[in-house]
Amino acid sequence: MNVTFPYMGTVIIYKKLLELLGHHVIVPPRPSQKTLDLGVKYSPEFACFPFKTIMGSYIEACELGATTIVTSGGHGPCRAGFYSEIHQRILKELGYNVDFIVFDSYFRDKERFMENVRKLKGNYSWFHVAKAIKFTFDMIRELDKLDRWIHRIKPYEKVPGLTKKVWEEIQQQFDQVTTRRELKKARKKGKKMIESIPLQEIDHEKRIRIGIVGEIYVVMEPSINMEIENVLGELGCEVERSHYLSEWINDNMLPRFLKHSDEEEILKKGEPFIEIEIGGHAKHTVGRIVDFKEKGFDGIIHLMPFGCLPELISQSVIPRISKEYDIPVLTLSLDEQTGQANNRTRIEAFIDLIRNTKLKKYTYTA
Amino acid sequence: MKGGDESLRIGIPRALLYYYYAPFWKPFFEELGVEVVISDETNKGIVNRGVREAVSEICVPIKIFIGHSLNLLRKGVDYIFVPRMVSISPLEFFCPKFMGLPDMLRHGVNKLEDKILTCQIQSMDDDISDYRLYLPLADILGVTEEQMKESAAKAREEWLAFRMYSKMGHTIPEALNLVENIPISKRKEASHPAIKIGVLGYVYNIYDSFVSMDVIEKLRDLQVSFITFDMLEEQDLKNEIQDIRKPLFWTFTNKLLGAGYRFFSNREVDGVIHITAFGCGPDSMLSKLFEIRSNETGVPFMMIRVDEHTGENHLQTRIEAFVDMLKRKKRVG
Ligand code: SF4
Repeated sequence: MNVTFPYMGTVIIYKKLLELLGHHVIVPPRPSQKTLDLGVKYSPEFACFPFKTIMGSYIEACELGATTIVTSGGHGPCRAGFYSEIHQRILKELGYNVDFIVFDSYFRDKERFMENVRKLKGNYSWFHVAKAIKFTFDMIRELDKLDRWIHRIKPYEKVPGLTKKVWEEIQQQFDQVTTRRELKKARKKGKKMIESIPLQEIDHEKRIRIGIVGEIYVVMEPSINMEIENVLGELGCEVERSHYLSEWINDNMLPRFLKHSDEEEILKKGEPFIEIEIGGHAKHTVGRIVDFKEKGFDGIIHLMPFGCLPELISQSVIPRISKEYDIPVLTLSLDEQTGQANNRTRIEAFIDLIRNTKLKKYTYTA
Repeated sequence: MKGGDESLRIGIPRALLYYYYAPFWKPFFEELGVEVVISDETNKGIVNRGVREAVSEICVPIKIFIGHSLNLLRKGVDYIFVPRMVSISPLEFFCPKFMGLPDMLRHGVNKLEDKILTCQIQSMDDDISDYRLYLPLADILGVTEEQMKESAAKAREEWLAFRMYSKMGHTIPEALNLVENIPISKRKEASHPAIKIGVLGYVYNIYDSFVSMDVIEKLRDLQVSFITFDMLEEQDLKNEIQDIRKPLFWTFTNKLLGAGYRFFSNREVDGVIHITAFGCGPDSMLSKLFEIRSNETGVPFMMIRVDEHTGENHLQTRIEAFVDMLKRKKRVG
């Protein structure tokens, strides 16, 4: 079968895993204006922005010959958990003949989960499958480490644009990897490449660190968040996101005893503002804001899809957190019409503000 | 069973699940000896105040709820009762906004910080009268566990009566009156209505006459009879969607889905109208499902989206056109 998947973040990972299981993989094109147009055209008007983007992506993948879509179902209670059900019906109405393999939480329906795995596993042994999974997981962990590093140094690059180029090259390297030895090599090479990027010296006190929090899809997918990490990097800020794929897998897929996670701690930090889990990443979002503040970050950008149910609750309580913890937060709500220019201006103004207050503090105490 | 702090005044916003659970909450608190204050009927002022205080993208019903809470604040209540609605059905939840509602009011709306009285509602079915859910309120209300238990049992009777009236075909405002022994005005509808419409929508949209601009009265004026989800048995609604591999996550959305599927399949109605409020997330999915089902079954379907500025005329015209179409169809078919 020709397998595809929703486009989000470092897609080579999904590709790798499916390839290791012997499938012919069709990587959907990076979301573009065309993707959005298609998505908007065939989605309910008030569906979430991620829903529409993924809808468009699926149609493009089907056009390229995909016959099976592998995706996660999520466990609600926000709309994400139901995406695939509606996507499926819409594709059928449009006349595409495509199967869905939806991974819901293992605990919701164990049998179905295993049945899905069996479908994807084909004739491979369980041992092979386990190895493939472990391998891709290690790979994504390595990639995420490099990803974080890249966005820590980007603001200080002497040659504008070099860091971004290096990151693209690193991803290409990893895309070629099929064995552990190659993985190790790619990692080493990646490290070297990053280390050789010439950097400016900058006083510790003058560094500006921005945390990005919010709904996972818009936080992780650069093509629909105006490449916000790059934008911030160019404005001279170090950036860290609240979601990395490896963490998501760690927190959502692995059994408890296998994982080391600070997820719980972060949720605790959000508790005074949102008492219980209300779906999506709302509680995580507010917890992360507190966490970033405690780690000395200077400001937060909160990204949410327009009308996102859980994030609207976060948005409602953010002014209070911002005041109580004395940390500036800018909420940007994204949809298919979000003016990039307009958002860019808002981001610039926000960073200026942070820089000025910081500079004042700095010169004052010095 | 009095005993609570008699000077205490607790407000219940006339919004959201007021239209389903007030017949339990109100007598419950009253039995406990506290004074219950209900906010005014939704009006322009309430809506405007809600719109001003809420984040702009949030759905209209939540904005209206905020407006009602502020209305209660003006009435000088000590507390506003905002339960955290989590789940009333296994594996199903309320929409995230219901689950985060107390947080949102407490930390997101000025002056409400110390005014929110909340407890977590989680039960196996629609009946949320288990007194243990309300125990966290005991201290504030100054009542004992025993008092709560008795009051809850009494209030439950009222709620069950209310549900019974609904299932007899009364609208919710009618049922609310009936449990309070307020006579309901005589119905205007003709004895032999020409057509029947399934009206789908959350209780707080359909029955808040400001929000829906009295859709129901409009239908009655047009000699149309109608049926809503709250007039059906809970179990029947569940059965309708039993075969769906993965039902929706939200209980009331699922109730609508069940009612809708039933209307589309067993032909007891001539057409279906879905009334949805601007910005409702779950409904964006639901309407799509109805649309698909309507295409499959040929039962006409219309969606009406209302917001804080929908024009009454516009609504009137659309409903009339839909009803005309159904009548014509029926004569021909
Ligand atoms: S988290 Fe937000 S954007 Fe994602 S499905 Fe839920 S409501 Fe939609």
